[in-house]
Amino acid sequence: MRQFFFFCIASLIIFFSAQSVNADETFRDRFRISSFGTLGITHAGKDQFGYRNELTHKGQFNQFSIFPDSVFGLQVNAHILPNLNATVQVIAEKQVKQNFNNIVDWAYLTYQPSSNITLRGGRMGIDLFMLSEYRNLGFAYLWARPITEFYTPVSLSHFEGIDLKYSNNIDLGYFEFKVYGGQTGSDIRVNRGDFSVRMRPIFGAVASLETNHWKARATFAATHIDETRSTQLRQLLTTLDETPAFLWPKASGFSDLINGEGNQAYYYSLGFSYDKNNWLAQSEFAITDSSWPSVALTNGYLSLGRRIGPVTFYTVGSYAKSLNDPKTISPRSSQPEVNALQDITENSFNAVLVNQNSFSLGMRWDFHTNMALKAQWDHTWVRKNGGGLLILREPLVRDIELNIFSLNLSFVY
Amino acid sequence: MSIIRYLLIAFVILALLPASVSADIVVIVNPANKIESLSKRQVVDLYMGRKSHFPNGTRPLRFDQPSNSNLRAVFYYQLTQMSLPSINAYWARLVFTGRASAPLALASDDEMLEVVEKNQHAIGYIDKKYLNDRVKVIFELNLNQ
Repeated sequence: MRQFFFFCIASLIIFFSAQSVNADETFRDRFRISSFGTLGITHAGKDQFGYRNELTHKGQFNQFSIFPDSVFGLQVNAHILPNLNATVQVIAEKQVKQNFNNIVDWAYLTYQPSSNITLRGGRMGIDLFMLSEYRNLGFAYLWARPITEFYTPVSLSHFEGIDLKYSNNIDLGYFEFKVYGGQTGSDIRVNRGDFSVRMRPIFGAVASLETNHWKARATFAATHIDETRSTQLRQLLTTLDETPAFLWPKASGFSDLINGEGNQAYYYSLGFSYDKNNWLAQSEFAITDSSWPSVALTNGYLSLGRRIGPVTFYTVGSYAKSLNDPKTISPRSSQPEVNALQDITENSFNAVLVNQNSFSLGMRWDFHTNMALKAQWDHTWVRKNGGGLLILREPLVRDIELNIFSLNLSFVY
Repeated sequence: MSIIRYLLIAFVILALLPASVSADIVVIVNPANKIESLSKRQVVDLYMGRKSHFPNGTRPLRFDQPSNSNLRAVFYYQLTQMSLPSINAYWARLVFTGRASAPLALASDDEMLEVVEKNQHAIGYIDKKYLNDRVKVIFELNLNQ
């Protein structure tokens, strides 16, 4: 189905590119190829606790790596009819699951019947937060990477569906309101293997107001967690379901708690950015409400920057905290097998909870009109049983601190 | 210590130089274009990707000065009070989120004049001293005001 969909879009682009749209337009006006990328090196993590800035990445264990921040993208825009455009974006980055489906980040058609109305259909960036449609585009934001506490928990980069946007100038500024619906999913790495989640349907709305100097936005999204795939998780759930109640009465309750399938998740966020007189500020706060503890959390950040010529110095404070507290299973069973199962269950539940905050300092040097060099240091405090964003080689039974050093070059072309 | 301070001040002044260049800038279209004038806000909307059409509903072909030109920095600063790094990052966001296509950068004022003369839907801007009667001025940024 997906291959058929991409084939249709590619065929449309080729077919309409050969047609005459506007006598004034040359080939370069109608058909644009743009590229972007980041080449970065980071040092992060501890021997037992792996750092990653995307859940779709492997952990980084006290080592240098070029993979976490490095990404390359190619985008083709085709103006195929007076009010119809096609966009395809492909991404090359090191992900735990790499296939054609993950490489094609976007493939959609845009229909604009008037200056105020935009209708899109296909695979598009999912509009949950400020950077959600350009989280891979390092040149477009100040920091070395999207703020870990805010962006890492939501690993969704795109959805398949439609969106409808109304935009207009009002007295206060430029106003946009968008609604969207479709399906989404993600393939991520967890402590003991790979994990896939499919969410369908997903619905959302975004309202934003901006002037040349500030932007404010509010978003809402609701989704149904339709399917999760993980061999290790499935084995645990099966074992819990088959554990006789007389051996451990709460076993099936834990199975329901750990199993994400069938739950709903609701996402609410507020964001604000400011850029005037060489002062920059940006802040976002969100809450993900769900009866599935793995995704229920609140997070936010505040970033302040000062531009001096081509160099911007900045600092960021951020946090992420699960809405659920860690669990300690008691009383423990006297049966060794059940006791071991209780250990695994307790660790599995607590390992996905998040409780961390970071302080960052950095600088961005715009040394060329389409290139920027960034250096950043992050210090992260991760609380006991709050390492859900890390890859844990052992249970996190104490507070730890991590340092992340990064240097990267971002460009657009 | 004082030398370092002066160097730092000189560096900051140099970095901000594009905003202090004095050149009047005119926004131009083809004489056949029915638009007679635009307000500052309408020019901002077109060059910041917020409007994809002229006020009369026709679709413009937007052209820009070279990416590293002083005139470009002055033009955007006077329109938006945003520095070129901010403008570049802003446009990168619009382009790569598929919201708008960036104005095409041309090589010089001469090429800008040539392109606007030949394209009925073109809109561009040049240093006023290069203006000729084969294009029509629809907005003027007078920097000495």
